[in-house]
Amino acid sequence: MSKQRRATGLGHALFAAPFLISFIGLFLGPACYALYLSFTRYRGFGVARFVGLENYSVILAYDAFWTMLGNTLFYWVAHAVPMMAIALGLAIIVQRRAVAWTQTFKTLVFLPQILASVATALLFQTFFGTHYGLLDRMLGFDTPWLTDPDLARWTVVAVLIWRSTGYWFIVFLAGLTTISPEIDEAASIDGAGAWRRLWHITLPLMRPTLVFAVVVDAIVTLRLFAEPNVLLGRAGALAPTSVAPLLNLVVEQMRAGLFGAAAATGWLLFALIAALTFILFRLMRERAA
Amino acid sequence: MNKRLSSLFSNLACAIAAVVFCAPFVQMLLNAFKSNDEIMSNPGGAPIRWTWESFADLADPHRSLLRDLANSIVIAGAGTFAAVILCAAAGYAFAKLHFPGRNLCFAALLATMMVPPEVIYPGQFLMFSRLGLIDTLAVQVLPTITPVFGLFLIRQYMLSIPDELLDAARIDGAGPFTLFARIVLPVSAPVLGAFAILHFLAEWNAYLWPSMVATSDRVKPIMVALPQLVDPTIGFLPIYGTIMAGCVVATLPLLAVYLRFRDSFLASATAGSIK
Repeated sequence: MSKQRRATGLGHALFAAPFLISFIGLFLGPACYALYLSFTRYRGFGVARFVGLENYSVILAYDAFWTMLGNTLFYWVAHAVPMMAIALGLAIIVQRRAVAWTQTFKTLVFLPQILASVATALLFQTFFGTHYGLLDRMLGFDTPWLTDPDLARWTVVAVLIWRSTGYWFIVFLAGLTTISPEIDEAASIDGAGAWRRLWHITLPLMRPTLVFAVVVDAIVTLRLFAEPNVLLGRAGALAPTSVAPLLNLVVEQMRAGLFGAAAATGWLLFALIAALTFILFRLMRERAA
Repeated sequence: MNKRLSSLFSNLACAIAAVVFCAPFVQMLLNAFKSNDEIMSNPGGAPIRWTWESFADLADPHRSLLRDLANSIVIAGAGTFAAVILCAAAGYAFAKLHFPGRNLCFAALLATMMVPPEVIYPGQFLMFSRLGLIDTLAVQVLPTITPVFGLFLIRQYMLSIPDELLDAARIDGAGPFTLFARIVLPVSAPVLGAFAILHFLAEWNAYLWPSMVATSDRVKPIMVALPQLVDPTIGFLPIYGTIMAGCVVATLPLLAVYLRFRDSFLASATAGSIK
């Protein structure tokens, strides 16, 4: 019997074959092609000319690249700090069973997750719209929330906080419930106040979950596209460069037929994500040691 | 006293949060029942004049929003169906069958999750354009049918199926295919269902790739169509009544699924984080 279980064969690989073949054709192939493209100048027709690292050096010397990268990093930091604090705060409150309607609360807070980012952005247009928007109506002002770049970037941050808090709240709540309540009780008996227990017990024990949250949220935000563009672009157009995220450059280059440059921008984004993930994990591990 | 104060504070904080996270949904629903004009003067409150005209507007043949909705259903439905079949079969192979290079192959697949899909868009775009597939439904479905995350999720679940169960069926003469169809698939129904819901949601809500490859009305999904809705006479002015009605119609089915399968959704959030 055990011999039969150990039986290996290429026949068994047939079950994996449809996935693997599709994956090679639809992902791995195009990925390798995109890597090759990034070293060429190619407009989608004619001959692809090999240019070495020229695409990369041109992009790195391009103002708009740094503007968009700066915008993206701003969107990440500006939403992640308050969002993580709110999500963790709510999770701690709910975990201490101070609120009776936990199930309802979880359902409501997670709700923004199922709304499409496009619908979310359109919804917030009716909230932030100049003069006609709900916010300006309530305040009685004509504030150009969506058209003044300095204000507009904060509306994107508001949307990101609104959308992502519920998700991380659920994750943090699950993380908190894995912490044994005895540790907290013991510290409480020893006379540690609520804030000291939070700082010296809860937060250190939550470190792995928090690191995971920061890394995943950073990756998601570096790939930001729909929210700023639908919110700040007009009728399906791209958002202006002053508030555009990094992926806009890839889209603009593809629309201009600069496939080599678009591919290079894409791989720069990948390098950024890989580097950020590495640094964050390293940083957190050093702190823990 | 201190305890009651802290309980009051906790309830208050949660109540404020719940209102903040739900109010936009209420605003969306209320605005869908206003005319395009009324939203301009009354963007937040209850409609002064309740009307279905924004919903009726969705069926306006000039706007083709019903076709856009149908496109979304076809794209997300076909993509989800294909992804579930491919991932279930491959998950079975990686969890319960043995073939040369199995573990190496699986590790390599996991490693590719590091590469965000947007990075390979230039390569995919040129490949699909050479195949003549740009501006079709297929080009929106195909890139989504091999999600490595889904494969991982389903394989992990299938690992927990006891080998004894499969061995018993083998003694009765069942081959790998019978085992798959009669035992592994039914036993894995919960994870397949949960994954199907998540995948459908992601495809239904997708924007960047469809906005690049699906530009004509014939194949556009609803999420690409909604931001482009503008007043036919003035031009640039978005018609928010119709847009909000479209958002409501595009969200309600997902909302119903969410409320029915809430626990799967909440579990999905923690699937990757708790080891």
